[in-house]
Amino acid sequence: MSKAVLVDLTKCIGCKSCQTSCKQWNDLPAIKPQFDNTLSYPAETDGYTYTTVLHRTTEKNGQETLRFAKRQCLHCLEPACASACFAKAIQKTPEGPVVYNPDLCVGCRYCMLACPFSIPKYDWESVFPQIVKCQFCFDREGTHDRIGHGMEPACVNACPTGCLKFGERDELLKEAWKRINKYSKYIKHVYGEKEAGGTSWLYIADVPFETFDFRTNVPNIPLSTYSHDYLKWSPAVFIGGGALLSALHFYTKRRNEIAKEKDKNHDINA
Amino acid sequence: MAGLANSFGRGAMTNHFNDYKNTDVFLVIGSNAAETHPMAMKWIQRAKELRGAKLIVADPRLTKTAAHADIFARHRPGTDIPFLLGIMNYAIQNNLYHKEYIANYTNASYLVNPNYGFQDGLFSGAGEKNGKFSYDKNTWQYQKDGETIKKDFTLEHPNCVFQLLKKHVSRYDIETVSKITGVPKDIYRNVCETFASTGAPEKSGNIIYAMGITQHTYGTQNVRAIAMLQLLLGNIGKAGGGVNAQRGESNVQGSTDLAMLSHLLPGYLGVPNATKHTCLQDYIEKETPPSGYWKNKPKFLISLLKAFYGEKATKENDFCFDWLPKVDGKNRSHMGIFQEMLDGNVKGLIAWGQNPAVGGPGAQFERKAMEQLDWLVVVDLFETETAAFWHGPGADPKNIKTECFLLPAAFSFEKEGSVTNSGRWIQYRYKAVDPPGEAKTDTWIADKLFKAIRKEYQNGGKFPEPILNMHWDYDKPGHDEPDIAKIALEINGYAVGENKPLDSFGKLADDGSTVCGMWIYTGYWAMDKDFKVAKCKRRSREDSGLGTFLKWSFSWPLNRRILYNRCATDPQGNPWDPKRALFKWNGTKWIANDVPDYNSKIAPEKSAQAPFIMLPNGNGRLFANGLADGPFPEHYEPMESPVSNIISKQQNTPCASVFKGDWAKIAELGDSRFPYVATTHRQLEHYQSGAVTRNTPSLVEVCPWMYVSLSENLAREKGIKPGDEVWVETIRGKIKCLASVSPVVKPLTVNGKKIEVIGLPWHWGYQGMSTGATANDITPAVGDGNTSIPEYKAFLCNIRKA
Amino acid sequence: MAAQKWSFKITPLRIILMLLAALAAVIAVYRLATGLSTVSNLNDNWPWGLWIGLDVLTGVALAGGGYSASLIIHILHVEKFKPLSRSAALTSLIGYLLVVAALFLEIGRWYNFWVPFVSWGYHSTLFEVFMCISLYTLVQIMEFSEILTERVLTFLHKPIVKIMPVLLILGTLLPFGHQASLGGLYLLQVGRLHPLWWTPLLPWLFLMSSFFVGPAMITIESSLSGRAFNHHIDKQILRSFIRISGYVMIAYLAIKIIDLIRLGVFGYIFEGSLESNMFLLEMIIGVIIPIIICFSPLSATKKGLITFGVFTTAGVVLNRMNVVFTGMYKALGSGYFPAWTEWAVSAGLIAGGILLYLFIVENFNILEYDKKYQTA
Ligand SMILES: Nc1nc2c(c(=O)[nH]1)N[C@H]1C(S)=C(S)[C@@H](COP(=O)(O)OP(=O)(O)OC[C@H]3O[C@@H](n4cnc5c(=O)[nH]c(N)nc54)[C@H](O)[C@@H]3O)O[C@H]1N2
Ligand SMILES: Nc1nc2c(c(=O)[nH]1)N[C@H]1C(S)=C(S)[C@@H](COP(=O)(O)OP(=O)(O)OC[C@H]3O[C@@H](n4cnc5c(=O)[nH]c(N)nc54)[C@H](O)[C@@H]3O)O[C@H]1N2
Ligand code: SF4
Ligand code: SF4
Ligand code: SF4
Ligand code: SF4
Ligand code: SF4
Ligand SMILES: [Mo]
Repeated sequence: MSKAVLVDLTKCIGCKSCQTSCKQWNDLPAIKPQFDNTLSYPAETDGYTYTTVLHRTTEKNGQETLRFAKRQCLHCLEPACASACFAKAIQKTPEGPVVYNPDLCVGCRYCMLACPFSIPKYDWESVFPQIVKCQFCFDREGTHDRIGHGMEPACVNACPTGCLKFGERDELLKEAWKRINKYSKYIKHVYGEKEAGGTSWLYIADVPFETFDFRTNVPNIPLSTYSHDYLKWSPAVFIGGGALLSALHFYTKRRNEIAKEKDKNHDINA
Repeated sequence: MAGLANSFGRGAMTNHFNDYKNTDVFLVIGSNAAETHPMAMKWIQRAKELRGAKLIVADPRLTKTAAHADIFARHRPGTDIPFLLGIMNYAIQNNLYHKEYIANYTNASYLVNPNYGFQDGLFSGAGEKNGKFSYDKNTWQYQKDGETIKKDFTLEHPNCVFQLLKKHVSRYDIETVSKITGVPKDIYRNVCETFASTGAPEKSGNIIYAMGITQHTYGTQNVRAIAMLQLLLGNIGKAGGGVNAQRGESNVQGSTDLAMLSHLLPGYLGVPNATKHTCLQDYIEKETPPSGYWKNKPKFLISLLKAFYGEKATKENDFCFDWLPKVDGKNRSHMGIFQEMLDGNVKGLIAWGQNPAVGGPGAQFERKAMEQLDWLVVVDLFETETAAFWHGPGADPKNIKTECFLLPAAFSFEKEGSVTNSGRWIQYRYKAVDPPGEAKTDTWIADKLFKAIRKEYQNGGKFPEPILNMHWDYDKPGHDEPDIAKIALEINGYAVGENKPLDSFGKLADDGSTVCGMWIYTGYWAMDKDFKVAKCKRRSREDSGLGTFLKWSFSWPLNRRILYNRCATDPQGNPWDPKRALFKWNGTKWIANDVPDYNSKIAPEKSAQAPFIMLPNGNGRLFANGLADGPFPEHYEPMESPVSNIISKQQNTPCASVFKGDWAKIAELGDSRFPYVATTHRQLEHYQSGAVTRNTPSLVEVCPWMYVSLSENLAREKGIKPGDEVWVETIRGKIKCLASVSPVVKPLTVNGKKIEVIGLPWHWGYQGMSTGATANDITPAVGDGNTSIPEYKAFLCNIRKA
Repeated sequence: MAAQKWSFKITPLRIILMLLAALAAVIAVYRLATGLSTVSNLNDNWPWGLWIGLDVLTGVALAGGGYSASLIIHILHVEKFKPLSRSAALTSLIGYLLVVAALFLEIGRWYNFWVPFVSWGYHSTLFEVFMCISLYTLVQIMEFSEILTERVLTFLHKPIVKIMPVLLILGTLLPFGHQASLGGLYLLQVGRLHPLWWTPLLPWLFLMSSFFVGPAMITIESSLSGRAFNHHIDKQILRSFIRISGYVMIAYLAIKIIDLIRLGVFGYIFEGSLESNMFLLEMIIGVIIPIIICFSPLSATKKGLITFGVFTTAGVVLNRMNVVFTGMYKALGSGYFPAWTEWAVSAGLIAGGILLYLFIVENFNILEYDKKYQTA
């Protein structure tokens, strides 16, 4: 029972309704971005923007064309950001959303570095900046909650074309494959099915995901596996190491004392 | 809209957005629906998914709509007529047109005066009148036997419309069209094949257009070409078919219905002409056709006069016909008014929900014109460029004497009332929030303004009667706001003495016993029996069949969703496509999924004779003699063009509305200073002159910069990099924008010559949160001969690094 | 003893150092009051920059001299190295204090610095780093208070000496954790950190290099302080000390090569790219040349020792910088170059560290400890 969104990029018209409705719903401030040749404004999510629609020119059937992709946190099943947070300020909820709690956040930005999709952003301009990323409209007790109230996210609600579909992950995954198998235009890949161990936002498209600079070399296992594989040694290292060091300490000390005594005795004897 | 009215009888989108899901092939030409009508894309995509529909997009730019096209034909701005006539030619040459349909439902069989002819790019009857080019239309008439038009249902007679059409379009073969438009031949052939395939009776082709088609000196003929193509392929009146003119502003259809245009009264009744119509009888005799639904015109006009003048309007005094304002034959369109203003003949202007300082053609000159005013009243949400015209670029406030007033208006969410969408649905909306500060609703302002003016007239004035006697009774006791229900009732119409809305304009009378502010809306305010609300307030999601949703709001006329829907079946009443039956005659009565746009009480063969009920002869017009510039469309070059017309000697349309002074300067053919073709366009993030969107932070954010799109090739040639500041220059002036370099625009090969095209959005101005150059400062003030719509979509420019 | 005067010689160099430190202090206060963006060029693509790369990652590695010396001297009781122990411990302590200071400047919501102590994100490598560094710094302070209490708060001296063995063991153990974990932080950069650096063994390589850089640091430091305070450590002691580094380096080199082959990315070394060149530089300067020096007669000379120290240290600095910058450059783009204020803070921190070292050396029994030991 984990909520998810299926993003069918073949239906996206780049209308940015999702983007502006997210901003409105979440009371995020608007900024004036730099000029961008592709007219994706802002060109990336930032400290004031949970989601943005990337515009790309690409080729399809030998003709130049445009494609658009809404970008936001993918709400990984086993999020690297949450695994990286040493203060538990980011957590995966059973409902699906990966949410951030500024009260616990130290501001180390390791989550930013940890996320394989470069999602968490920082509102650098503040004195005490917060991590900024899509919360999946989940805010259990708060004013920005929708999922918790049984509603679909603001962006999904605003999408005019059906590009965004909200539902249960396993059902959406089935639907994604159904569409892929039914229409030949699709790339045979559900982005997010396996990436980083699976994500709650799933993408299908008729152009390669590289078009939008979606990383395609993300391992299919949760990234936290790598740190767990290392961290699992910690208790052993500390207990074992502690014991070993103590032993060595006392052993070598004793050995030296004995040696010294021998020396002394030797001197006396000599 | 003139193109549609002259082809079908009504100037409105024939189908509606939901119906797009029934389409087999879309031709979107001169519309960027994905950005300007996003909801349309939902239904286009549904058709693609459900029916495997094909989408053809014809546009000079690779738009967000074109991104979804199966075939994208990139053509040169201003070459839609060859593009469309070429498809007709292909359909005729390859026998793909819908013969049974055109023989029965259009004027294809009508015989035309044998002296009708066409030569060197001009139709017969070309001549001059009052120093201006004009056609004598005598040879454009049908051959008649007494009162009946001669017809040849075999369509073989050399003077029948079909043969004339065949001959006319035969010059537009694939080769020629490709040379003019710049669309590669193989792509164009694919377009022809794909779209002409909808000539098959069971297929539905849908043409969607908007400003890329209309904003030309031959915009009306562009629309005609679309209408004719759809008639030829039998696509009108069908589910999934139609000519779908996607109207712009949320209520522009409503305001056009309610007489926004200078030559129309509410409900498309022509404004009387001072010399032509000296009295009511005169008007009725000259303007009422003997056949077709318009023969009821007197009922509509007299009911309207009753709405205007109430009890004062009596049979004895011609229902106060004399009090109606009259036109004098001069151009009273937007440009006409501004020309008069430039000449100092207009003293005061009320700019009510309009921002011509940004949106008007040659906007810098329109701002200059405003300097001539004694006073200016702007009714708007913001201090727009128009309201602040006196501190625009180049203006010197010290020398401007105009007294300016800004009346703050409430936004659409801050008031109640109906809006009419492009698909003719009149939808009632409620107020969401109170207007801020001192802002007032437009009805409030109009009400107070009228009352104040009337008060002034009580002290005397020129011709006070119409003002003093205007029926004006919209007060709501205990409220400051006028009573919307009273206004709505008056628009809908009622019988004198009864306060109940009529449910059909069929009940309107010409004896003064009915009152109706606009006959085409009659019924919208009538109560729905099931929902117990006015019909425009209904919101049932229950599908009445084929996605017509008859119980969702009310669609004019009489809740018909698809116009001319008698054409949905063959003359015997069998649907062309049984799987998509809008109607079916079961031998005794019609099985209907829509409200019939014909007399359903008579035998199908009988109603089949006049499926276009608004036209005098009841048949769709492949050949139309009502327009100023020709019965068939013909290709001319835009007023500013880099190439000479290769199809005839006639370079430009001889009928264009031209103006005088710096405002109307036009670059000559081959002016080497301006080698590139420019077009203007909208984009999703901003709305129109940007007054609202450039004042909304979250919309400024999604597109903060005025820019110009240029091709990678041109950028390379000129050493321009993305984000560079560049000057875009026309013979009328120059503007500075940031360069966006991408395949959105690309050079085209036109008759062997490489032509660069650039694109300019026109949403920016010097007021608001996001400011930028105004594209219209450099657009030409020249218009269509029928409607005077400006040629915003094709002109010449140069571009260089700033 | 208590009556002895505090002394601190003022020299032109020290004045410059003081100015640098003062400037850094001003910037630091400004940063804490106004946020990060006012003093740093950090951005969303480069959330970690100079301060993490130089002050934290490199700082901790270089301060590792403390724990490798501690391991050798206090745990393994290789007595001949005992003369090095106090100065090693001091540099290490100062190093860690600087790291902690840098970290405090680095975190955006510094008033929340304590949160991880109560809200345990134990699944995070950073959690281990954080806990270890905090504890270790504490332990080091306590260790060091053995020396401090010789002069101030003398009544505490005895109890501290009593618990010293525990502190020493902890103080050796903890760095094993966080030195490795600092490398572990970059495990999540799989697919982003250039394959010449990314490996599941990254933590262990970090650990080894932090270990072998310890003696190298001590050679540099003893030669510097030797010049400054006319205090000389027997070359022979140093030579055998760096030998320990040398063995670890050989192991390091072997593991690195085998690992690159195992992961199938050995070819990248000769790719000719920025990354491959930097990698080669790092390995040649930081590992191969030092190994050669270490096991050749060169290491018997003062010059050789210093070269070893400088090269090894430079190699480790380069390694950390490569992991933080060079190796991430392709993935994160070129959008970051530290602001002058970032440089100033880093420089000021180091200057402050040096001043602190000088002050302590002049006022406490650090360098003379060996003599005392020898005479005891
Ligand atoms: N977001 C947004 N939506 C809007 C509006 C808005 O301002 N912003 N305005 C509303 C209004 S009032 C209107 S009228 C509609 C207009 O809606 P559209 O007509 O769809 O809008 P435009 O961008 O003006 O023009 C459409 C396309 O015509 C193309 N074009 C240019 N020259 C030619 C030509 O010669 N031939 C052809 N075939 N195409 C050409 C342009 O490249 C452009 O892509 O949009 C409405 N919707
Ligand atoms: N170059 C170029 N120029 C063009 C076009 C083009 O394609 N290219 N398109 C043309 C077209 S199709 C159009 S429709 C025109 C549009 O031109 P305009 O109608 O002049 O432009 P808008 O920005 O729509 O102006 C509407 C004004 O109404 C205000 N407003 C909004 N809501 C309300 C309200 O409820 N009450 C009142 N009183 N005011 C309100 C807005 O703030 C705004 O100032 O521009 C034309 N100009
Ligand atoms: S996409 Fe990044 S930020 Fe979002 S849950 Fe996954 S790791 Fe965390
Ligand atoms: S910045 Fe905040 S949320 Fe991110 S890892 Fe650090 S403490 Fe956790
Ligand atoms: S799910 Fe909510 S928070 Fe996330 S992008 Fe959509 S609207 Fe924004
Ligand atoms: S609202 Fe839907 S169609 Fe529009 S940009 Fe977002 S995802 Fe695409
Ligand atoms: S009117 Fe506005 S909100 Fe409605 S579909 Fe069109 S663009 Fe979207
Ligand atoms: Mo419009």
